[in-house]
Amino acid sequence: MLKLLLPVIFPSWRFFSSIGPSPRIHFTFLTNENDEPDAWQEFRPRPAKVSLKSGLWRLLHNPEWNETLYINTCAERLFEGYSEMREQEIMRRILAAIDSGEIKVDSAKPYVTYRLSAVMREGQVINQQVTFVATPLLLVDSALISASSEKGAA
Amino acid sequence: MLLEQAVRYSEIILAFAYAQQSLEYIRGLQPEKTWGVIRLFLSFLLLMGFQPVLVEAGLLIVSCVLLYRFQGPYNGGSDCMSMLVLLCLFLSHIAPTEFWQQIALGYLAFQLTFSYFQSGYIKIINADWRSGQALTDVFAITAYPVSEHARRWAQSPRLMFVMSWSVIVFELLFPLSLLNHYALIAALVIAATFHLANACLFGLNRFFWIWPAAYPIILWFQSRIVVT
Repeated sequence: MLKLLLPVIFPSWRFFSSIGPSPRIHFTFLTNENDEPDAWQEFRPRPAKVSLKSGLWRLLHNPEWNETLYINTCAERLFEGYSEMREQEIMRRILAAIDSGEIKVDSAKPYVTYRLSAVMREGQVINQQVTFVATPLLLVDSALISASSEKGAA
Repeated sequence: MLLEQAVRYSEIILAFAYAQQSLEYIRGLQPEKTWGVIRLFLSFLLLMGFQPVLVEAGLLIVSCVLLYRFQGPYNGGSDCMSMLVLLCLFLSHIAPTEFWQQIALGYLAFQLTFSYFQSGYIKIINADWRSGQALTDVFAITAYPVSEHARRWAQSPRLMFVMSWSVIVFELLFPLSLLNHYALIAALVIAATFHLANACLFGLNRFFWIWPAAYPIILWFQSRIVVT
């Protein structure tokens, strides 16, 4: 706990000290656990534009965006090294998005997985490399999502 | 500004910022949803000025639980500043003498000043920041821009250069504003505008609400320590 508390009590305030690899998260559905994914979809793609009214509301209340920033933090930690907790945190939130209807499920494909890509600038070229693919999870029903949530929270 | 006034104003802004964060947690998953409800209730008590020592102790416990739950801050620097403001206000209440009360609040004033200065320092020593390339990358590469329209700002290198240097100069000069009351007020207005811009462009809304919670303390600090 002290390891978590010390950086909060004595923060370094090094905002954007260097622009490292930036995560992108894509998910897909599979018919079988070992199938090769063929069509990845971006998780929470950003809108083309945010209206003034929407922007003002987001200033007060923007839970989805802040959750997405947290997911990106988890992805950045996974760039540094494997962590079961971080892997589950991202999966848990994709499952919650499925449960809420934010992500439409293909009923013929009962497995879900996601991948992380690192976007970075090398010279004048922007590259994107896949760095991590999560273990596929069988979508049985929403009870599975609840169970996964509890597992992630534990 | 008197110390008691500064603490009370700071608590009111902190209560609002915590309520804002709590309402966002309530829209999320368990267990943070439950902790959000508890924290919203405690924020209301803090806003009302009810038993600040006990309420702030409760808020500190909830903050520690969330810190452990997410294995670090949920929302980066805004969580750090939230906890720092809360801790320093709590310590100022339980301090045995006025001297230690001033030390606790002085530490918060120092951290607020340092948050701007250090951010400017790490940018000016980086060649990519000095050329505007780093800010271009923030817009072009990172996950922060709130829309594709905002991402297109990366296509204006001159704008990126001007914005980079505006931020660097402001952040580095911020400590000098402590030398004059009106300069400090002007600097805090610019700083709040900077946080507003970050909220609009990068969706960092929590920073916009929590940083001003420390502003009454730095105004007290400036009048009490620097001027006298």
